[in-house]
Amino acid sequence: MRLLTAVLLTTLMAAPGAAAKDPEASYRTVEAKHFTRVEGVELSPAFTDYLYAELRNELGKTKLFVQVIGEGEAVEDPDAANSVVIEGVITEYKKGNRAADAIIGFGAGMRSLKMDVNVTRRSDHQDLGAIKSHVKISPRWNEEVMAKAAAHQIAHEVKNALKEKAKG
Amino acid sequence: MDSYRVAFVSGGILLASLSVRADEPKPTPENTIHVQLAAPVPPQRFAKAPKFFVSEVIDRSGNAQPMLVLRDRGGVFLDRQPTQIAREAIEQSLKSAGLLAADAASADLELQIYLFHFGLAQGSGLDFFGKVEFSVMVKNAKKEESQQIEAKGTSIANAAIRKKNIQKNVQANIEGALEDAVRNLVRGTQLREAVGSLMKDSPTAPAVAPGGDLAVLIWGRAQRQEVRVEIGEEVKKCVY
Repeated sequence: MRLLTAVLLTTLMAAPGAAAKDPEASYRTVEAKHFTRVEGVELSPAFTDYLYAELRNELGKTKLFVQVIGEGEAVEDPDAANSVVIEGVITEYKKGNRAADAIIGFGAGMRSLKMDVNVTRRSDHQDLGAIKSHVKISPRWNEEVMAKAAAHQIAHEVKNALKEKAKG
Repeated sequence: MDSYRVAFVSGGILLASLSVRADEPKPTPENTIHVQLAAPVPPQRFAKAPKFFVSEVIDRSGNAQPMLVLRDRGGVFLDRQPTQIAREAIEQSLKSAGLLAADAASADLELQIYLFHFGLAQGSGLDFFGKVEFSVMVKNAKKEESQQIEAKGTSIANAAIRKKNIQKNVQANIEGALEDAVRNLVRGTQLREAVGSLMKDSPTAPAVAPGGDLAVLIWGRAQRQEVRVEIGEEVKKCVY
């Protein structure tokens, strides 16, 4: 009986770990570029830097890529076919309204950020996915928190897009 | 009466300034970190491997206290100047691949580094955001030509509550950003292009006449201002 209990406990403890095991990295490198912005988007220059850093950090967490390289880094020719490049444009930014957020609530006065992201293969620039990302946060939070949320969302959607593409 | 009032106000100002000075963190062995690359970053392969020499590293950050990386919780200090840390990291990486020259005379290309940012930058507050940013002037002293390239490294590490963990995370974060910046430099396409253009002895780009009747090959040396023109078997030399 003791032995059975021990086996059962071991199985229960090991099962969630096995289920949550991350998939093996299927791409050699990923290069995230600094996002550009359309005219009229009023964000601080430091925002783009922080978004870039957070995006690289989040892409590393997806475990889909062996290496997350910096912008403008060289990739060996054999690895190029199995490498992706992520480029994006910030198309809209609304800084929100604290009063509307506090008085009305229900999403009114939220700070919002819209981005168009393109994922391409490095070797032949083949389109691997076009993502439209929209992030909303409370106007009480600063720009960097918004960048963190945006990076998390983009990395998640990039992962989904690449998985879909791999499935065919 | 007025003199008493002046003395009272000036005394108050003095006390206030002393209390502000007392909050200023001071470097001690406990709050000082040693930042260095964990391992040299392997540079990219060049067609013709040049020898680099790091001539100087100049701090252009405009930071009055470059060794103070974090002001809160008693402060976190670097044990050396950021310029020295950056120089060591770049030299270590170049040396690992045999691309470092012993002196300027034996070097093919000189690197003059302008450090714009070294340490922590403003982040979300939920984590530490490390950033190292520099631009490099790649010079070919023999040809008297130079080209500027940029390198940037970032790193994000978790925030901490305990002072010991803060120090550990800040150190890991800056080391990560430094490694990233050095990799961005030595493995960057900008450096490859700069080396390619500065190490080119003579441009041999063939030019085709727009009409197609005559194939004209032009090459020359910019230093001498001399152009050699071949039209069929006839060779003409133009000197400016």
